[in-house]
Amino acid sequence: MAEHSFPPRSSVKRWLVTTNHKDIGILYIVSSLFFFIFGGILALLIRTQLWTSGEFILSGSAFGQAVTAHGLVMVFFFLSPFAFGFANYIVPLQIGADDLAFPRLNALSYWLYFFAGMVFIVSFLQGGTIEAGWTLYAPLNLPAFMPSPGATTAILALLMFVGSVTASTINFIVTIHTHKADGLSLWHLPMFTWSILLTVWMMLIAFAALAAALLILGADHIFGAQYFTATEGGGLLWAHLFWFFGHPEVYIVFFPALGVMLETYQTFTGRRLIGRKWVILAMILVTLQSFLVWMHHMFLTTINLEIKTLMMAMTIGISLPFDLIVFAMIYTLLKGRIRYTTPFLFNFGALLLFILGGITGVFLGAIVLDYEFRGTYWVVAHFHYVMFAGGTALIGGLYYWWPKITGKMYNEFLGKLHFGIYFIGFNLLYFSMFLSWEMPRRVFTYHTGLETYNQMATIGGIILGASFLIMFYNLYTSYLSGPDAPDNPWEYSRTAEWATSSPPPLENFEGVPTYRNGFLEFEDRNAVADGGHVEHGHEPGRHPDHASWWPVTISFAGFLMLIGLAGLGEHFAYELLFIGGAAFVLLSAIGWGLEDFYAPEPLRGAKWPFDGVHKNKFGMWVFLASDIVIFGAFIGAYVFIRWGYGWEAWQNVPAESLPGLVNTFVLLTSSFTVILALVYAQRGNRRGVIAGLLATIGFAFTFMLIKSWEWNFLLPEAETLPEAVTMLVTLDFDVLFHTEGPAIDASIMHSTYYVTTGLHAIHVLIGVVALGYLAWRAWAHNAYIDGNERPVENVGLYWHFVDIAWVFLFPLFYII
Amino acid sequence: MWVFGHTGGGSDLRTQESVFEEIFLVFLVLGTIVGVVVIGYMLYNGWRYRASASDELEDPPVLGELPVGQGGGKKLALSFALSAIIVLSLIVWSYSAVIYVDQGPEMEENMEVEIVGAQFNWDFTYENGETLTDTLVIPEDQLVRFSVTAQTEPRLDVWHTFGVTELRIKADAIPGQTATEWVLADQQGVYLAECFELCGAGHSHMTADVIVVSQEEFDSWYELLSEDPDEAMENIPEPEEN
Ligand code: HEM
Ligand SMILES: [Cu+2]
Ligand SMILES: [Cu+2]
Repeated sequence: MAEHSFPPRSSVKRWLVTTNHKDIGILYIVSSLFFFIFGGILALLIRTQLWTSGEFILSGSAFGQAVTAHGLVMVFFFLSPFAFGFANYIVPLQIGADDLAFPRLNALSYWLYFFAGMVFIVSFLQGGTIEAGWTLYAPLNLPAFMPSPGATTAILALLMFVGSVTASTINFIVTIHTHKADGLSLWHLPMFTWSILLTVWMMLIAFAALAAALLILGADHIFGAQYFTATEGGGLLWAHLFWFFGHPEVYIVFFPALGVMLETYQTFTGRRLIGRKWVILAMILVTLQSFLVWMHHMFLTTINLEIKTLMMAMTIGISLPFDLIVFAMIYTLLKGRIRYTTPFLFNFGALLLFILGGITGVFLGAIVLDYEFRGTYWVVAHFHYVMFAGGTALIGGLYYWWPKITGKMYNEFLGKLHFGIYFIGFNLLYFSMFLSWEMPRRVFTYHTGLETYNQMATIGGIILGASFLIMFYNLYTSYLSGPDAPDNPWEYSRTAEWATSSPPPLENFEGVPTYRNGFLEFEDRNAVADGGHVEHGHEPGRHPDHASWWPVTISFAGFLMLIGLAGLGEHFAYELLFIGGAAFVLLSAIGWGLEDFYAPEPLRGAKWPFDGVHKNKFGMWVFLASDIVIFGAFIGAYVFIRWGYGWEAWQNVPAESLPGLVNTFVLLTSSFTVILALVYAQRGNRRGVIAGLLATIGFAFTFMLIKSWEWNFLLPEAETLPEAVTMLVTLDFDVLFHTEGPAIDASIMHSTYYVTTGLHAIHVLIGVVALGYLAWRAWAHNAYIDGNERPVENVGLYWHFVDIAWVFLFPLFYII
Repeated sequence: MWVFGHTGGGSDLRTQESVFEEIFLVFLVLGTIVGVVVIGYMLYNGWRYRASASDELEDPPVLGELPVGQGGGKKLALSFALSAIIVLSLIVWSYSAVIYVDQGPEMEENMEVEIVGAQFNWDFTYENGETLTDTLVIPEDQLVRFSVTAQTEPRLDVWHTFGVTELRIKADAIPGQTATEWVLADQQGVYLAECFELCGAGHSHMTADVIVVSQEEFDSWYELLSEDPDEAMENIPEPEEN
């Protein structure tokens, strides 16, 4: 689609097809605010129920659903997407890029998020959504305790959200590392971009762990696997998996807010950040350490004291870099000219709240105190003070970038009024929770004597909620009839988003931004384009594409499929929906693959170590990193459960290791043939490419055939592999079409075997589709022999990974 | 610095409440001081350097400059070190109580009770094999050790957390896992046990009474429990007012 066919912003179609990062940013912000209202209404329901100590407007189950949905909606569907609305809009501007590295993938991320939210909303309509708290503790999170299909739907909604996050993560990592303007090194990235960079690296690992947890949970729900019902440690397994994700997640939602604070503390004081280098190092340290403290959420479990002590030490260790960051912000105020505009008021307030949240976090880090605080309102108060301090900073960010995004100024008085009411409501609401800290969390009735604090909190909640009416009114009137905003409304702002018009043009800057001479300059676009960067994939004379229907189509298809999947076995209609949806997903994925969507490589190249690495290959590596974590979590889950069961007492499901061994050789050989395809592509040998790819597909099918027999889909009568081969060769049709299917629910040993090898089999199938696509293109379009063999290389990388994963699974499930 | 821990004599046996209250108090006091100092400092400087009262900036940042920092590292390092010392010493100090809190005092005589959570009741099983539901009777001034878990047979149950706020005791009750906890109650009375982990629609009502009575009263009741459980359950002893 050429640029001139890109519809204007006033057209609805524009918002459905756009792949431009600024449009996507706006979509994220608007949708996340919708979910903010949704989560806020749930919060007000909760607070209304807690007005009295006895029964009131909600039943126990309705209350459980309300707290669960409130937590999930606020953390997943509001906070992060709100932050990523800004990340989408601002990061490319700050680093001087035209767009993200993969604009169409970015649109897919957004639509997956949007429809994940819709799936979640549907879960309410199916007899009630999940009611296990946002931490979804096992085994309460299983159908035995929550039989309504809505619970399964909610889990699938989260899984879809994880898909969105993973795509987004890859996109941002590649973009920030490779699309920076000339002369802008990592050290010199603006702080907001730094915070997003570290956020996405954390997301990459943490959300992969969540993906694994949810996939296993989904298998328990839908296929009757028994991971989390296993008394050999099922409940603890969930807690480990969840918190391995969950602790980094609290920084994931906080870091972008920190980025906003670090920007505004500089802009509105007219000072540069004190100890900038140390702040960046502290943030990197937090990023790494965030994966080493998760068991501080499990101090009361049966984990032994040595490990708890280690986790306590790490937890305190991680609070120290935060200390440093806080001090750096405070010292930046000194000698400044502080202007208390609305954005700064919110960010100033955010730091005050965060300090309180941090101090009360240290209480929780002390094991002896946490023993008592665990499960009480102290925890609720603590995390609202820290997380919603982040939310406060982000709301400041909304005011800060509003003029840039809309080109309009908001009303400053109303903004300040919003802050004042907000801040009072906030503290009334959450400080009361510190005062009533002895109350268990997530109860809908409580013993008398705590009414006063609870009523204070409820009043605070209403005030807090009401303050947003002012914000929405302010922003609405500003958008309709506010005064035009200048390009740079804030004195002393430094970053590049203020060096272009408000709102910026489609390609962000008139010229090509560069920092080659130590400050921002613009070069003539055409001169740069003609400057011989063709080898970087910039096709001269071709305009970048900005529109595609496929992201929204695929996501909608996924929406239908998941709703169907959640209700399998409930009703015939669900089955239809699932099959229809799955076919729709496949078709639209093919449509996506066939679409000729052009997003140029950056004009100015990347810095070491990423120079010369094509963005697709880089993206593939990043994806594989997250996939490694998924497999790692599956293997970890298996080892953990087997350990609890008794390592030696455990019996492997496959009766013999021969089929697995054969399959190992089959896959290793296929790794070789896919390399052959690449070598032939480099030599320009079309038949060689096709032969190499077809051979690889052939091996993949052999692998799957043996797998199907092992899984009792094929020839369940055959006891051994030779027997199965004989039956197959003699073509005994009676036995050939007899299938039993895997006995996933027969025991925990069966569950782990089928679910883990099933994950691998899905990877093989996806590989077959990709290889088939390559083979078809090579055959029909003579592709890959024209010097552009990159797709073969990237799919090849994926395929090697699938093979290597099997090399780990084989000994674990067949031999040891 | 006073260090927690039990040195053997009967006099320094400490209840969980007293250990907790002391550490909590120290944290609260220091936490408040740190909070007041830091927030006060921030507010003061925020006010002092307000735009209307401050001079023109020397070397103000300009749009398009390469992001760099400003000096001031020394001050930063100093305050960081100071706060790190406070936090670290607090944690190390509190940690000296962990072993005591985890393992309990060493006493010759102690009593064991098994606690099993199931949606939405607490079962307490005494050493004589008798089980009370939602009521636990224990003697005053005697070490009681608990093993805490959730039901697995006949039906798998979910994760609960057993806790008695006033006695400052708490332990996760996880199916298939057994946690330990202890209590030394030095006041007769009826205490409320609650569930601290969301376990389903009845979570809020998953409470029990923990009744602390004098040793003599407990002994005679316990004897009755062994002989005629039904009768004993009808006649739960009452704590004395004091
Ligand atoms: C000074 C640094 C911090 C320390 C030492 C700390 C420590 C802790 C500990 C030990 C817990 C577990 C409490 C329990 O359930 O028993 C906890 C809970 C939590 N913290 Fe923090 N924290 C700190 C900062 C933060 C920050 C910056 C955030 C997010 C912005 C955060 C968000 C949370 C959340 C969401 C929970 C509760 C999760 C749940 O159970 O639902 N904390 N914190
Ligand atoms: Cu944590
Ligand atoms: Cu409960």
